[in-house]
Amino acid sequence: MRPAAPAAPEGEAAAPAEGGDAAPAAGAVTIAWWDYMAAANGAALDTQMANYMEANPSVAVERTYIPFADLKQKLLQGAAAGQLPDVVIIDNPDHSSFAALGVFADLTDLVQTWGQADSYFEGPWASTVYQGKNYGIPDNSNCLVLWYNKDLTEPAGVQPPANWDELVSASAALSDGDRYGLAMSGVKSEEGTFQWLPFLWMTGEDLPTLDSDGGRAALQLWTDLVNDGYMSPGILNWTQGDVKGQFENGLAAMMVNGPWQIPVLKDEAPDLNWDVVTLPVEKQGASILGGENTAIVGSTENLDAAWELLTWRQEPDNLKAYLLEAGKLPSKADMAQDEAWTSDPVLNVFVEQLKVAKPRNYGPNYPEISNAIQEMMQAAISGQKPVDAAVADAQAVITPLLPA
Amino acid sequence: MAVTTNQNLDGKQGAPRRRRLRTRELGYYLFLAPAFAFICFTMIYPVFSNLRMSVYGVNVATFLSNTAPFVGLSNYTKVLQDPTFQNAFMLSVLFTIGSLVFQFTIGFALAVLFNRSFPGNGLLRALMLLGWMLPTVVSGSIYRWMFDGDNGIINYLLQSVGLMDSARFWLIEPRTALIGTIVANIWVGIPFNMILLLPGRQSISHTLYEAASIDGATGWQSFRRITLPLMRPVALSVLLLGFIYTFKVFDIVYVMTCGGPVNATTVLPIYVYLLSFNFFRFGDGAAAAVLLLLPLSVVAIGYLWLSQREEAAS
Repeated sequence: MRPAAPAAPEGEAAAPAEGGDAAPAAGAVTIAWWDYMAAANGAALDTQMANYMEANPSVAVERTYIPFADLKQKLLQGAAAGQLPDVVIIDNPDHSSFAALGVFADLTDLVQTWGQADSYFEGPWASTVYQGKNYGIPDNSNCLVLWYNKDLTEPAGVQPPANWDELVSASAALSDGDRYGLAMSGVKSEEGTFQWLPFLWMTGEDLPTLDSDGGRAALQLWTDLVNDGYMSPGILNWTQGDVKGQFENGLAAMMVNGPWQIPVLKDEAPDLNWDVVTLPVEKQGASILGGENTAIVGSTENLDAAWELLTWRQEPDNLKAYLLEAGKLPSKADMAQDEAWTSDPVLNVFVEQLKVAKPRNYGPNYPEISNAIQEMMQAAISGQKPVDAAVADAQAVITPLLPA
Repeated sequence: MAVTTNQNLDGKQGAPRRRRLRTRELGYYLFLAPAFAFICFTMIYPVFSNLRMSVYGVNVATFLSNTAPFVGLSNYTKVLQDPTFQNAFMLSVLFTIGSLVFQFTIGFALAVLFNRSFPGNGLLRALMLLGWMLPTVVSGSIYRWMFDGDNGIINYLLQSVGLMDSARFWLIEPRTALIGTIVANIWVGIPFNMILLLPGRQSISHTLYEAASIDGATGWQSFRRITLPLMRPVALSVLLLGFIYTFKVFDIVYVMTCGGPVNATTVLPIYVYLLSFNFFRFGDGAAAAVLLLLPLSVVAIGYLWLSQREEAAS
C-alpha cells in the first residue's frame, strides 16, 4: 500500500458542477463542498446550490464530486494534509468515526439555538450525534423493505409475508427450478451487515446481546433459507445491486432492498410487476436506516456561512424540492407526512418502514464491528461454523469494541 | 565514462577543464533532478512516513491530534500475532506461487508458439494482450460471474462434459475461493509473461537450432538444451517481476470476493487495506504494510542484482 497514491486521478475528482459563474460580490465567501452524489442526486444538489447562490449573492458554493469508494480515503488524506472542504455529505454510519477523528466541527451550540432537532426522526438524528454532541444535520434517509414480484406471487397464491414463518413458507413456495424464493445480500462488506442487522433487531436483541436466542435465531433464519434451497449460497458474494439483478431477471421472487432501486428498476425493467411491503415482523418490526448526513469540517474558516447554508437546505420548501428531485426520503418526521410521499403507495411503504428503522450507531469502532458481523454471517451460511459458535465468536470480538 | 577519463588528466589545462566539466556534470544532474524529485515525493517520502507511522500508536483518536505515542515494535507484534495476518500471509504466498507457476509456464509456451511464423500471428498476439489491457475491475467482475454457482459458465462447462455432477459455488466455498481468484489472476498475467519472454526467445539465433538438427537433435532436445538455458536470464527476470506484481495484487481479489468467504481470500494487501482504510487502525496498518514490503524488497534487490550482472556480462 502506498499511502501517497491519490485515491482518484485529480481530473476525475475535480470534475463536474461548479455551482454558478456569477462573480462573487465583495466580502464574498466561498464554501467548498464534497459529496459522492452522481446522476439524479448530483443534479438535485446542483439545482439547490444554484438557487442558494441566487438568493445569497455573497456566497459561492463549489461542489466537488468524489466517488463513494474514495470519499473516506480522501477525507483522511485531506485531514492529514490540512486540505479539507468546508462541508461534506457523508454516509451516516461513517459519521461518528469522522467525528471521533476530530474532522467535523462541534455544532452543539448552533443546533441548540436552531431548535429543530425534535422535528427529525430519532434514528437519522442520532447518527449525527457523537458522545452527546452534535456534529451535523441529516440530509436524507433510506431503509430496507421487502420487494416481491407480483407475477410470481399471485399465480402461486402467496401473500406478502408479515412474519418470519410466512417469510420462510413464501420463500419455499416461490422457489422453483432455477428460481429462488428470496434474495438478500450477505457480501463481505458493509452491505452484508446492512441487510442482516434488521433481522437481529426484529428479535428485540441488539449487538451488546448478540449472543442470545434472538441473535442465534436471526442467523439461523438466513442459514436455513440457504440450506433449504430457498436462497442461493451466492448471496455471500452478492452486493445489493446483484440482488436487484436477480430479482429483475426473475431469478428471485422476493428481495430485500432499498428505495434507491426504484428508479433503477423502473428504468431497466419497466414491465416488471413488483410491489413492496414492510419487512416481516418477529418480536417487533425493524429495518435499518441508511442515508446521508451533512457535516461541517472542523478546520473551516466559514463556519457561520456553512451553517447558514445547511439550515437553509432544511427549510421545508427547499428540502422538499431537493428530495423529490433526487428521489430520496426525508429524515424529518413532519415532512414524511407530506402528501408528496404518502400519496405514492410505494414511497408510503418506505416512509412507514422508516418509523422503525434504526441507525448503526455503535461508535467509532463500527467498521471493525461490522467486519465481525460479516465474518459471522459468512462462516455460518457457508457452513464453516455452527450458528451458535459463529454468534459466540462474533460477540467476543464485538463487545470490547462497543462504546462504553 | 567521461568523468573517469578526465580525472586522469592533469597539468596546466586541468583546472579550467575541470570547471567546464563540473558545469557539464551539473547539467547531467539537472536532467536527473525531475526523476529524482518524483521518486522522493512519490516513493521515498511515503515509505519513510509509513515506517514512522508503524512505530506510533496512530488510531482514530490520535490521527489528527498528532499525539500518537511512540510504541516501538508493539504494532508489529500485534499484527504478527493476529491469526488473520498469519492467514493472509500464507494466502498471499499460495496466491503468488499458484499464479506464477501457471502464468509463467503458459506464457512461456505461448512465447515459443508465437516465435514461429504462421498466418494471423500478429493479430492473435495483439488479441492476447487484451486480457492484460482490460481494467482489473472488468476482468474481476467477469470472472466473478463465470464462477457463479447458479448461472456461471464454468459450472455449465464442467457439468456438460461430465466432470462434475452438481453445481459448485466456487467463490463461496472456502477451499475453492482462492483457486478461483488465482485462475482469474493467471488469465490476467499470461500476456504479460508472454510479451516479456517472446523477445528472449526471438534473440536466440536460428543457426543454433539448424546446427542441432543437423546433429540429429529432436525438437524436445533442442528445447531443453538450447531454448531453456539461453532463456534463463530473461526467464528469471520475468519471474522476479511477476513475484513483485503478484504479491501485491489487491484489486482482482477484492472485486471477486471482497476477501471472503470469511477470510478465505483476504490476502495481505486486502488485510492492510482493511486495517488502515476501514478500521482506521493506521499504526497497525502501517506495520502490516511494512511487513508486506519486506518480501517485495528482498525480491526487488535480487532483481536489481541480477539485471546488473546481466548488463555487466553483455
